Amino acid sequence: MAFEDQRTTVYKVNPEHPESETLPTLRTEELLLNMGPQHPSTHGVLKVILELEGERLVKSTPVMGYLHRGVEKLAEDGTYHQFIPHTDRLDYVCAMYNNFAYCRAVEKLLNLQVPERAEYLRTIVAEVQRIIGHQFWLSAQALDIGAMTVFFYCFRDREILLDWFDELCGARLTTSWYRIGGVERDLTPSLIDKLKQFLDYFLPKIDEYQVFLEKNRIWLGRTKGVAVISAEDAVSFGLSGPVLRGSGVDYDLRKYEPYSAYPKCEFSVPVGKNGDTYDRYWIRVMELYESVKIIRQCLEQMQEGPVMADVPSVTLPPKERVFTNLEAMIQQFKLFSQGFDAPPGEVYCGTEAHKGELGFYIVSTGGGKPYRLKIRAPSFIHMGAFDHMARGYMISDACTIFGTYDIVMGECDR
Amino acid sequence: MGLKPATNPDVEAVRIELSIDGKSVTAQDGVSLYDVISMTGKIIPAMCYHYTFDPFGSCGMCLVMQEGKKAPVRSCTAKAAAGMVIRTEGEDLFLARKKAVEKHLSVHPLDCPVCDADGHCELQDMAFQHGVTNLASAKQKFIPEDTRSPVLDFNMNRCIACAECINVCKDVLMIDALQFMKKGGFNQVVPKGDLALDCEFCGDCLAVCPVGAITNKFSKYLYKPWQMKTTTTTCNYCGDGCQLHLETKDEEVVRVTSPLSWKNKWGDRSETAKGHGGLCVRGRFGFENLDSKSRLTQPLVREGGQLVQKPWLDTMDLLVGRFTEIKRQYGADAIAGLVTARCTNEELYLFQKLMRTVFGTNQLDSSARYGHMNFVLASKHAVGLGRTPNDWEDLTKAKAIILIGSNITETNPLTAVRIKEALRVYKAQVVTLDSAITNIAKLASHPFLIKPGTEGAVIDGLVKAAIDQDFVDEETVGKHPHAFEALRSAVADVSLERLAVQTGLSVEAFCEIAAIFAESTRSIILCAEGIVRRTNGYQNVLKLMDLAWITGKLGRTGCGVNTVTEEPNEQGAVDMGVAPEFFPGQARFDDPAARDRFARAWEAPLPPTASSAHLVEILKRCKSGQIKALYVLGENPLATLPASMEVRAGLERLELLVVQDPFLTDTAKMAHCVLPACTYAEKDGTFTNLEGRVLRVRQAMDPLGESLPDWHIMTALANAMGCRWEYQSPNDIQAEIMKLLPGYYNLSQPRTVTPVPDQYLSTGYETEVKARYRPTPLSGELTRPFALLMGQVLMHSGKLSTQASGLITIAPNTGKLRMNIQDMERLGLQDGVKVRLISDRGSLQLGVQPDQSIAPGTCFFPEHFNEPPVKDLMTVSVDATTGVPSFKQIWVSIEQV
Amino acid sequence: MSVVALTKKILQAALFYEIWDAMKVTFRHMLHRPMTFQYPREQRTIPDAHRGALGLLRYDDGHERCVGCDLCEAACPSHCIKVISAEDTTRPLQRYASEFYIDITKCVFCGYCVEACPVNALAMTKMYEYSTHDKRSLLFDKKRLYDIGERHLDDGKKYLYAHNQEKNVEQSREYRYYFPQSVQKSTQPPPKHLS
Repeated sequence: MAFEDQRTTVYKVNPEHPESETLPTLRTEELLLNMGPQHPSTHGVLKVILELEGERLVKSTPVMGYLHRGVEKLAEDGTYHQFIPHTDRLDYVCAMYNNFAYCRAVEKLLNLQVPERAEYLRTIVAEVQRIIGHQFWLSAQALDIGAMTVFFYCFRDREILLDWFDELCGARLTTSWYRIGGVERDLTPSLIDKLKQFLDYFLPKIDEYQVFLEKNRIWLGRTKGVAVISAEDAVSFGLSGPVLRGSGVDYDLRKYEPYSAYPKCEFSVPVGKNGDTYDRYWIRVMELYESVKIIRQCLEQMQEGPVMADVPSVTLPPKERVFTNLEAMIQQFKLFSQGFDAPPGEVYCGTEAHKGELGFYIVSTGGGKPYRLKIRAPSFIHMGAFDHMARGYMISDACTIFGTYDIVMGECDR
Repeated sequence: MGLKPATNPDVEAVRIELSIDGKSVTAQDGVSLYDVISMTGKIIPAMCYHYTFDPFGSCGMCLVMQEGKKAPVRSCTAKAAAGMVIRTEGEDLFLARKKAVEKHLSVHPLDCPVCDADGHCELQDMAFQHGVTNLASAKQKFIPEDTRSPVLDFNMNRCIACAECINVCKDVLMIDALQFMKKGGFNQVVPKGDLALDCEFCGDCLAVCPVGAITNKFSKYLYKPWQMKTTTTTCNYCGDGCQLHLETKDEEVVRVTSPLSWKNKWGDRSETAKGHGGLCVRGRFGFENLDSKSRLTQPLVREGGQLVQKPWLDTMDLLVGRFTEIKRQYGADAIAGLVTARCTNEELYLFQKLMRTVFGTNQLDSSARYGHMNFVLASKHAVGLGRTPNDWEDLTKAKAIILIGSNITETNPLTAVRIKEALRVYKAQVVTLDSAITNIAKLASHPFLIKPGTEGAVIDGLVKAAIDQDFVDEETVGKHPHAFEALRSAVADVSLERLAVQTGLSVEAFCEIAAIFAESTRSIILCAEGIVRRTNGYQNVLKLMDLAWITGKLGRTGCGVNTVTEEPNEQGAVDMGVAPEFFPGQARFDDPAARDRFARAWEAPLPPTASSAHLVEILKRCKSGQIKALYVLGENPLATLPASMEVRAGLERLELLVVQDPFLTDTAKMAHCVLPACTYAEKDGTFTNLEGRVLRVRQAMDPLGESLPDWHIMTALANAMGCRWEYQSPNDIQAEIMKLLPGYYNLSQPRTVTPVPDQYLSTGYETEVKARYRPTPLSGELTRPFALLMGQVLMHSGKLSTQASGLITIAPNTGKLRMNIQDMERLGLQDGVKVRLISDRGSLQLGVQPDQSIAPGTCFFPEHFNEPPVKDLMTVSVDATTGVPSFKQIWVSIEQV
Repeated sequence: MSVVALTKKILQAALFYEIWDAMKVTFRHMLHRPMTFQYPREQRTIPDAHRGALGLLRYDDGHERCVGCDLCEAACPSHCIKVISAEDTTRPLQRYASEFYIDITKCVFCGYCVEACPVNALAMTKMYEYSTHDKRSLLFDKKRLYDIGERHLDDGKKYLYAHNQEKNVEQSREYRYYFPQSVQKSTQPPPKHLS
């Protein structure tokens, strides 16, 4: 109804200037459209105000904060150790990587050396998490664009890995498996077997996913040349991960600031050319192959050894010693009630999560709690480029563009 | 050990130079090396060290390397000497310290999960800091826990034998209730003689215990330190105004801790002159009244002879209606108010403003009238200063202290600690003059026992002795020769020999005390309940002023006549003008300039001076029916004053008795309307302590039930009565007080005002002094041979502490009369035997018990308890000048039943 | 581009070749057994390490393990545990938890409390079905927690083994009775493992 009214007023001669003999011009105006926060393809509770000219996007303003929980503030309230479960809830589909990035930042602050086996375990699990992340992205992106089948197949395989997580740490999503100074528990032989089995099973499945998409003309039509961003723009928007590499920038923290067991593994970093959605899709699929490669190498190279650093002032004592040994008991009580004494200082540590660079910036003034903790969440940074990348595309492409960032609101709003 | 702090003002210590970690440091000769190192800001771990007492050197943690020595030395027991080259850091020292920790850990039990000190434990900290792992040989002690004392449990398995508890008890508090004893192969801390602990229960040993070896029975196992919310506030029990930390968990107070703690062991020893940070038994263990079940949580209104719970709105509506009605019908003079000096300054200010501007009456008084007013009015009259001239630091650094009529360790334990420090560190001469064998008399250099009720005569003697022996300061008296002449002629008739018979002091003693007082550079007189709460209190304070004046001590730095206050804010009550004589700031109520100023500030007419009434007068007018409505805020005259005052009859005649109190007191039980008030833990505000320091009171928990802070209730009442009071918080009231009394809120800084007696001495002194030294008739053969005294005991304060279950556990009401053991033997009385106590007022039956602190010829009953109602045997004499009722002493006879 | 290749491409485009390709995969899956299962009738097998509802454990002789040390409360990142400790009147000098609450609506199932517990009194179980119409019943009190611990004792123990909290049943069974490790009477013998 509102439309009708507007149209009638449009043709009116300006009443204030009746003498103006100019022809009544057709007044056009942009249509504001609220997309979200309850839209199925906004991957959570994202709201975007789209300014439309017909079906073309003129301007889009993301409105964030619907899932804000004050996680950064919560970090100031607890010990460093207590924040690990909170990181699970940032990017809730890939909790392991958040744990990993956070623990690395704290370890950097403490200058703590992690045992070698723990490094391998961390790498393995992080890559498993990357597979899960990309599977999840692929299924969601395909579903957004209209390909339902891939969604089912991805989730089928993802389920196997989530159950594997459950067996590893007791939870499928909110894992909290990484610890400052190592990991909570070692892989059991049965877990290693299961992982190996999965990898063998999984490689042909990647091809299977591609059958549905690679040559599908709808998929190509919806992704090729959509949401193109040039390498310069991508860099200046601070994009990272597959979104950056899709534009041809060969930047991967695993290669350029090698950490954990990555330097000991051989793998390549797929880089796109056109900076469009299709390239980003291609990179993620290629990374699935690379992840499998990395996991296999790690499983092969891994030696027996401890999985937690033995630094009494930071890491927990083995539980059986707590029962009998006063020093261990004291250590246990001090660490849980007051936390370890972090040196004063500031530290930033970025980690290549499957979405991009996940960074934790910690300011410590000494004592058991961080003074300030800032999370550089790739989803949030990527949303900054949304307007730039969406301008001029069709309204239906908006979903594609959300999807191409692999956005998760838990991380975006924090 | 010779390591006494070189802070004595008389001692000029030699400055020496030594090198610490390559830096050159100057220090005083003879102090502990540890002190010198910590003064540079470098903290070396030490578990047995605390700055308040001398180093003990048992923990072996404070190791440093001294050049020229092979092994590390313990820096706490080493004296700093010139030319020392000291290294405090290094791998070798770290390992040596680690070894020391391991030594303590190896005999420590695995008690962290159940230990109350867990998380606030120095041994834990040290073990964690030094990264102790894998002890070679751990050995357990298996010592039974000593739970004999009513307050403290000693778990010697956890003890690290640092002796902090023993040292603080012996050195700082001079109580000496703990000792080491070799038992079961281990050195253990035990109460003296390995009996059940029986001491002042100040709990400072608990505060300095770095582990959980000494635990508090009242909060044992209830908490872990990390769960608690800590609020620093001011103690509500006596006028010392000690700072304490209320530790609350959810909505209950779990324990009270003191600023004195093993946690802050690094400090300047000279700072303890301002207080060592400890608490007394009341402050530390008397917290259970704050969240007690007996607190009032709802307004009560009398309906058909019963107090029934009513909502606030109905109660206030009723109250306002009744007040308005009474004011309309009988006029403003039919309303009066009494307030306790346990309220904050803001509330006291608001109370007098409420009475004066809203009700329009000047019939108001506070509990400062029970004694402190004697001192305030006398001091104000003589030297123009309505409070004590000296602070704790002056007291500590005094060279001579005359304690007259004061059982200070019982009434104001922390002021007593100052005197103990004066004795111990500054080598002061302390003269005690009291009719009881007080605790401080046992430590004092010149303890004198006087006959009960002769404090005034003793002062006569001192003034006489000072003049006779020519201890007069010529320069001072030279300024006012007429005044001195008048004084000399006034005391001319006084005979020292006669006084000696009367008081029980020898003539030499008079001269000696006068000499000590006059010849010291810093002399302080401290008079307390024995002067200000007894007959002639006002005149006796003035006599003390005379003594101080002629010896030249009035107005000199570090000298003066002081008192102590029983309730936390008696000084504040006077300063806030809760007395018919005073406006806020102690401006005279009848002073036209002040009246004008306050009338303008409050934008309200003030009541005329003619109808002013103080406590005794108010009660009299209640009885005569002149006062129809009484607003009682926290006061409890029914339980305080003896029956001869006929308080009950007075209250019964009232048309409206409103009592606002956290508890259902005796007075509240008679009220028509009882309003539930908050305790100090639930409100913000300030107290003014006996030094005149304004101290913060902070809210630690939400008001219990529907109780409200007093200021809130008064504001609501005033607004309902048609005023526009826009106080949203105590801060707003503070802002108003600040405007009226600029400079009052110099928080924590005592205001230094020099007492000036010139005005007093030059006008009217001659006529006044004549009457002052009239000799009291010698009491001949006494029909009633015993002096019954009522007073405070250490564990209690007023009636409030009887609500604190912890204090009642420690010191229950025995219901027995305390007597000297010799008297009991003479009368053939056994402990617990019933006697009949007969005074002119009547008689009652009660048991007797021996008490070492009671002098022969006297007997004592604590004033906190009315069961049996010993107070009703008392007669009341009201001071003619100040209106202070005195009812703490009477002659009685004792007969075995 | 050769004619053949071009023809093939045109043909493929015209016939929607890639769709058929994908259909092939899809139809092949029709022959597979379904991956899904019918939940209330069929249950997942839950691994031992699974972090489910918390339960309080007792020793084999029925003594409560918990000594009320409040460390779980301190360790909990979501502040969902509340322990009220007191002295056990039946066993003087023994501390125990007189009340123990876990607000399961706030619990994040991180397992830190179990990790913190110095006596392994807490364990996570495989129990995850406790949905209710009344939110208030999700405040688990001490009784409920002991009930869960009793009913899922095996799960709890398996959890502790899986997470390296306890090696086996025999290990460290005895000494944990003695908290505090002080004795009441000097005649009382010290615990066996320490004598």
